[in-house]
Amino acid sequence: MKKLLTWALLVAAGALVLLFFSNDFGLIDIQKTAIVAAIGIDASAEQEGQWSVTAQIAVPDSGAGKASNVTIPAAETVGAGIAEVNRKTGWYPTLVHCRLILLGEEVAKEDVFEVLGYFLRSEYVEDSCLVAVCAGTAQETLGAASPVGELTALAITKVLSSEAQKTGLVCVTNLQNFAKGYYSRAKSGYLPLLSLKKEAEGEGASGGGSSGGEQGGGQSGEKKTADVFDASETVLFYKGKRAAVLSPAETLAFNLAVTATDFAFGEVQAEENGAPATYSLKMKVTKKARSLSLKEDTPVLTFHIRANAQVADTSGASALDAVARKAIVPEPVLRAAERELEKQLTAVLEKAAESGCDLFGMKQALLRSRPQDYDALAPTLLQTARAVYDIRFGTLH
Amino acid sequence: MDKLKLRQICFLFAAVLPAAKLLIYPSTLSYYAKNDLLLSAALNFLLEGAVIALVMLLAQKTRGTFFSLLQNTFGQAAARAVYLLLALFLLASAVLPMLEQKNFVTQVLYENVPSVLSFIPFFAVCAFACTKGLKALGRIADIALPVFAVSVAVLLLLAAPHADLGALQPPGAAGARGIFTGTLFSLPWYTECLFPLLLLGHFDHERGAAWKVLLSFAAGAGAVLLFLALFYGIFAELTILTQYPLAHIAKYTTVFTTLGRADFLFIFAVALVCIFCLCIPLQLCVHCVREAFPSVPPAAPAVAVSAVLLILSVLLNYSFNAVQTLCMRYAFPAYLLFAYALPALSLLLHKTPPQAKARQNGRRRKKNSEAAALRQARRREKRRSKELL
Amino acid sequence: MKKQQQPFGTDAEQNAAALKALLPAEDVLVYTFCTADGTPCTAVYTDGITDKELLGDLAARPLAAAAAPRTREEAKQRLLFPETKDANDCAAAAEEVLAGNPALFIGGIAGAIVLGTKKISVRAVAEPQTAITVKGPREGFIEDIKTNMGLVRRRIKSPALRLDGCRAGKYSGTDIRVVYLEGIADRKTVQQIKDRIAAVQIDGVPDSSYIARFLAEKPYSLFKQTGTTEKPDIFCAKLLEGRIGVLVDGSPIALTLPYLLVEDFQSAQDYFVSPYRATLSRLLRLLAVLLSLYLPAFYVAAQLFKLQLLPFALLLTVSGGIQGIPLSPSLELFFLLAVLEILIEASVRMPKYVALALSVIGALVLGDTAVKAGLVSSPAIIIVAMSGIAAYTVPDLTGTLSVMRLAFVVVAGSIGTYGILLLTAFLLYYLLTSDGYGAPLLAPFSPLVRRDLKDSLLKADLFALDRRPAVLRSKNKTRLKAAKREEQRHG
Repeated sequence: MKKLLTWALLVAAGALVLLFFSNDFGLIDIQKTAIVAAIGIDASAEQEGQWSVTAQIAVPDSGAGKASNVTIPAAETVGAGIAEVNRKTGWYPTLVHCRLILLGEEVAKEDVFEVLGYFLRSEYVEDSCLVAVCAGTAQETLGAASPVGELTALAITKVLSSEAQKTGLVCVTNLQNFAKGYYSRAKSGYLPLLSLKKEAEGEGASGGGSSGGEQGGGQSGEKKTADVFDASETVLFYKGKRAAVLSPAETLAFNLAVTATDFAFGEVQAEENGAPATYSLKMKVTKKARSLSLKEDTPVLTFHIRANAQVADTSGASALDAVARKAIVPEPVLRAAERELEKQLTAVLEKAAESGCDLFGMKQALLRSRPQDYDALAPTLLQTARAVYDIRFGTLH
Repeated sequence: MDKLKLRQICFLFAAVLPAAKLLIYPSTLSYYAKNDLLLSAALNFLLEGAVIALVMLLAQKTRGTFFSLLQNTFGQAAARAVYLLLALFLLASAVLPMLEQKNFVTQVLYENVPSVLSFIPFFAVCAFACTKGLKALGRIADIALPVFAVSVAVLLLLAAPHADLGALQPPGAAGARGIFTGTLFSLPWYTECLFPLLLLGHFDHERGAAWKVLLSFAAGAGAVLLFLALFYGIFAELTILTQYPLAHIAKYTTVFTTLGRADFLFIFAVALVCIFCLCIPLQLCVHCVREAFPSVPPAAPAVAVSAVLLILSVLLNYSFNAVQTLCMRYAFPAYLLFAYALPALSLLLHKTPPQAKARQNGRRRKKNSEAAALRQARRREKRRSKELL
Repeated sequence: MKKQQQPFGTDAEQNAAALKALLPAEDVLVYTFCTADGTPCTAVYTDGITDKELLGDLAARPLAAAAAPRTREEAKQRLLFPETKDANDCAAAAEEVLAGNPALFIGGIAGAIVLGTKKISVRAVAEPQTAITVKGPREGFIEDIKTNMGLVRRRIKSPALRLDGCRAGKYSGTDIRVVYLEGIADRKTVQQIKDRIAAVQIDGVPDSSYIARFLAEKPYSLFKQTGTTEKPDIFCAKLLEGRIGVLVDGSPIALTLPYLLVEDFQSAQDYFVSPYRATLSRLLRLLAVLLSLYLPAFYVAAQLFKLQLLPFALLLTVSGGIQGIPLSPSLELFFLLAVLEILIEASVRMPKYVALALSVIGALVLGDTAVKAGLVSSPAIIIVAMSGIAAYTVPDLTGTLSVMRLAFVVVAGSIGTYGILLLTAFLLYYLLTSDGYGAPLLAPFSPLVRRDLKDSLLKADLFALDRRPAVLRSKNKTRLKAAKREEQRHG
């Protein structure tokens, strides 16, 4: 028995060593792997009803990354497009580090889950990746040059980072949250709208160059102007289609009321010495909550927001003691800030009601708190709901 | 005789056995029970806990093994037959977890579809573990507890900030049908109540043993229920899409940090515990064969069991859904019978052999008659002394 | 009866001739002299290991100065030797002569008197190279068993200390001492060890590692089965815990049994520094061992099977580093590990005067130049270097770790991440069921012995270590009685 065991062990060891040295059995070496940092999807310009898929591949270059964009101009499905990347470049694309899915403007006009379904199905794409809609085409956006000389995808993820979310500039969402909203009863969701602004001039700007279907190389050091990304607007979705767009002020108001923003800058118009002045306030949200209740059969959405404010800047020159007492915000300014926030939230609610997008999760709240009334109230909930604001801005005394 | 400590049994219930419920069970359960998955799972745990309590009660009353109890009641041939059936049941009940783990490994631990060779070495490890007996089973629990506790705690801590526990509301939304279907179809994951029965006689009974075991079981159950709650809180409507939530539950905190997916370290640690967990029914299967036929060397049934599972894993490589459906929807009577009814009914077995019982009865009768005679004599004396007085 | 077992007669010269016939080697010499009354005396001794001066001064001189003694006892009284023995036949006398103790024959007296004049050149007691401490004793065992016994005696001045002698080696006749504390060590284990040594049938025992193989429960195991130490303070500490020690003549490495894997993570210095520092050091050693074992394997597995393990920025760095490398990641690492082992092997054997030159070659050529030539990548060199250095935090496990590391790399390169887990599981099952002399190898972790955890990877304060380790099954469990603190404070 012992001899048999010894022979079995020797055979197993031999097989293992053979496996090790042959390095075969369908393994794909890291050297043959294309690390896809971002995927952009547009409606195909060449073939109607098909998709144009752009993969931004991170090319290692002495440690730092350079981007190389590969665009498949027409693919039946996103999966087919990505498989085409393999065929065209000879590299096997790996999506495990894909942090960004960018949807072109045209794609958002139809049900975006026609394209996002691939990523939900894929075992290798993390549903924690960021999703955004861009103005124009995703190909163009991904081809933009970043002013700090890094991968465009990385620059975009910085704009869409959780730090940006905390400061209320952007409504960040990932694939998982967006999909949850789509598959929920509300069938609603939102994505940041990324737009490209050619503003900054910088050295060493690097980005991707591509021309349909061919692998482009990085162009470092040639471009003098770089592009900056702005994601202060938010697109509302209903049943996967683009339904409305929130302005930057509305986005900020939504963030202050709902998302993980706890520290933001905002502008408020108020009067100073009888003249109109613009105050830039630093706002620290200390409490935010919303509740849905029924009052005489009317749904009431109550916003409870408490925040502390400080003056960051004003439009006019201020007296020395006013500058020194920046932590103390004048009462009229605080009230103006509250009114502004209410105004913006009302605008957001109206847009949401108009578009059918349940941005504030009212249907979900109704289902959880009053399931027995859900069927009766849900169809007209967004339109009939009345907003009540309990917003208070405070300051140091 | 292969012995293990009561503490090791407690650790098994607290740390090793719950690991198997963190793979595909959560998404499967949420398919039937939806947001009432906690209720469904709690029912399963209560049922299991009740059976374990009955087995511990039996352990209090006897120091013999389950085989000896069967032998005392039905004879050796019947005892062997039952043990062989149990061995078959344990082997069969390990097929679904094995396929589950195989899929988990191929999906989570690899980025391209690996060859079937990647999982085959598991059977060698399993065969090796099965030759080591109950001592290995107990000692592995000592190692697994801190590994599991730390890993799961970290994963749950990382997951907690992203969970919206309001998604579990409203309770009862899935309806009684959904809840009970979830409970019934989850039986393949709740077979641990059989294990203490097979370990009967192999551990020294202590004071409060039943409470210790039940508390450990409750701790394991609590960890699983918390996991299920966070799972549903994070994924809500997407729970049925999310296979192997263990690999996904903590990623929302870690994915954009400098360290990247640091949670993989803890996922690997739990995967290691899952290996131990998967070996346990097979070790008990081999133990059953050896209890029935003590002269069989441990290597033979160990290799046989591993070989059978290996063949099944190759044959059923593309049939996971079919196997799962079979086990959940059609085979639940077998689980009810072997894992629940059998341990519960074991309380009725004879604790002592028939001849010994007869001798005991005879001695008891003699003792009783002597005591009665003594009492009569004392009463007569008392009467006489009263008369004298 | 065999010739060598025939008792000696009274003729000194004949006895010497018979003994010389049994020991024909040229370094076995016969010294003949007479007493004052002309009675011939002979001494048979081995040149080189006998103190001839002592033989002459303390044996020949007093005998030559007076008439021949009539009995052996009278002769012993006249000889000025504290250590004498009787040998009545050639075999017994030959054993002693070969050990360095001459056999003295006096005319008219039957039998031989064996004189303790052994004089073997031994090195001085010095600090052992494999167990250097910053704080603590610096003595180490040497090859002479008597000196080693003395070092132990110096530290344990108790009548309970036993040094039971045995012999092993058909031709070497190596002296072995089983050392233990009566009343503390488990008697059954002591007897088991003695029986095993007695059962050794081997030609020679050049080192204690040979005896260790015979004492091992699983002699073919990759893992150690006996504890080893070169330091008498560690040896005595282990005896005081309840272990049994084995000293082997000719070897500076003492063995201790039963052996627990956690011993190798403990260092003598841990007991001389603050317990917090000691705990940190032990945890660091554990981390280093895990790093040494798993880092190369996970590096290979990450590159071949699971890129997600590497953070994005690190992945780009690694990917950039390996561009153009002709070897696959697994082969590259395997090659570097092989080079590391060759370097270690060569550095142990190379003469000191070429060490510097070869170190430069090792560092520059094999490191920097190889990377520049595109043969290997920088990340791989860093990984291998870290792994190699980390292994030396636990010197006693270095050999085992080297082999295990290679195994993990092979498994990671062929099966992948799951292979690493399976090998870990296999190792755990193997170690968990490796008991030696009733002590589980992974105790006090598995089986969990809570009391013994105080001196495992954690190091509790001295006052907390009042009981001997439970796993050693000592009957005398208390080793420290804490004095009442009030009395201590107030004197």
